[in-house]
Amino acid sequence: MRPAAAVLLVGAVLLMVQGAINAFVPPHWTPHIGLLVVVGVGLHWRNAAAGVLLAALLGFVADLLSGSLLGEQALLGVVAFAAARLGSQHLNLRAALPQMVFVFGLVCAHSLCIGLLDSFFGVRAGIGSWMLRILPLYAAVNAVFAPIVIRGVGALAAAFGSEEAGRRSVRLPGARRAT
Amino acid sequence: MGETRRRFSTFLVVAGIVAATVVVMVLDRRASLDGGRDLPAWVGAVMDVAAPVQKAVAVPIEAIRDAFSRYVALVDTKTENEQLKAQVYALEEANLQLREALVASGRLQRIAEMRERYEIPMLPAELVGVDGSPWFRSVLVDRGRVHGIRSGMPVISEQGLVGLVTATSSRTAKATVVLDRQTAIDGVVQRSRARGIVRGKGASELGFEFVARGSDVQVGDQVLTSGLDGVYPKGLQIGTIREMSAPGARLLQEATIEPSVDFGRLEQVFIMLRRGPTMDLLYSTRVGDEEPGAGAGEPGS
Repeated sequence: MRPAAAVLLVGAVLLMVQGAINAFVPPHWTPHIGLLVVVGVGLHWRNAAAGVLLAALLGFVADLLSGSLLGEQALLGVVAFAAARLGSQHLNLRAALPQMVFVFGLVCAHSLCIGLLDSFFGVRAGIGSWMLRILPLYAAVNAVFAPIVIRGVGALAAAFGSEEAGRRSVRLPGARRAT
Repeated sequence: MGETRRRFSTFLVVAGIVAATVVVMVLDRRASLDGGRDLPAWVGAVMDVAAPVQKAVAVPIEAIRDAFSRYVALVDTKTENEQLKAQVYALEEANLQLREALVASGRLQRIAEMRERYEIPMLPAELVGVDGSPWFRSVLVDRGRVHGIRSGMPVISEQGLVGLVTATSSRTAKATVVLDRQTAIDGVVQRSRARGIVRGKGASELGFEFVARGSDVQVGDQVLTSGLDGVYPKGLQIGTIREMSAPGARLLQEATIEPSVDFGRLEQVFIMLRRGPTMDLLYSTRVGDEEPGAGAGEPGS
């Protein structure tokens, strides 16, 4: 409970700080802190239910500070958590480079899902050419920051004496559970 | 058996959370179709906490930026100073001629009268945060319901139209900026009165769409709000036509608008304390949304 609360609090504060920074730096030059924290949770959290709840709450805070529909980033946070959890089971995401590649792909998928959800709910006009133009840069910025944030989430969880959090390892063939 | 049970309970939790987020999205979409949302206190508390945090973080960042820009500015100061002096002389001459022409035609008087007629009470607000995602263009300002702010109120700066308040908490408000892909404004070209729809593209420019083929629109024309959408008052500056697309065989033509507001350097905005008729109509169907300003704290307090 304590590590989850700590990660939620730190994640929320980081989102607020990012909002202040983005008044001076264009948003596509700064990482999506909320998403990276969720990926960190997906890679470190053992309890799936707690991790999903944490991802949804972080997404909801991002929704409140953003122009998205309430619940939009919360839903995508849950999906990102699931992707990170599955990724950690089937891929070796311990090193920085695989994490960067994984986050690059995840950010691209996350952004396109935002476009599709906006289009589905009739809020905005789907995926525009401008969106596709800056997406690689935005994904690359997120990829660069990903190992730092993921390591930070792990360290934070460990500092609060987590029994739930800890590095998840690759599921080995034939093994039922490798965590 | 225990493992299956644990997995089933996890599945239930995940399904419940996913369902809850979808329900929240649907409810929020319905609220935004009703013109905006006044967030409940427990939800708005996050925004209320964010404002002072973001203000505090902005102070050192702004100091660093100012120091850097001063240093950069010093590098070419001499050359720039000479250029600016020459520009000032040229502009003073042009300004004098324009003033004389305006006074002579009586337009200055008419403009002054128009400004008086459309005078709307406004509340200054400080921008404390910007959207963290590049896919949404919204800003957080340090005025909320206790200051009389309601969803649906237009937000402007001294440069022109900024956006619209779309969510409020007790002490903060979220405004969707005109650059957001959600935005559509009925616009009019100041010179020729040609009309079209100004749309946000998400980028730093705006689109001017549904302009009738053959309408007199030229690069450099000023685009203003027409007031016909019932959301924004008439005559607010939106931007300048930067590029026209060739209409080809189409009945409608499009243009690109350079916004008059420099959103990268936006610090202070003014919130108009009166909603347009369309927004009022939307709100009149909502229970518990009292008249803007009624029962609210003194504006500017």
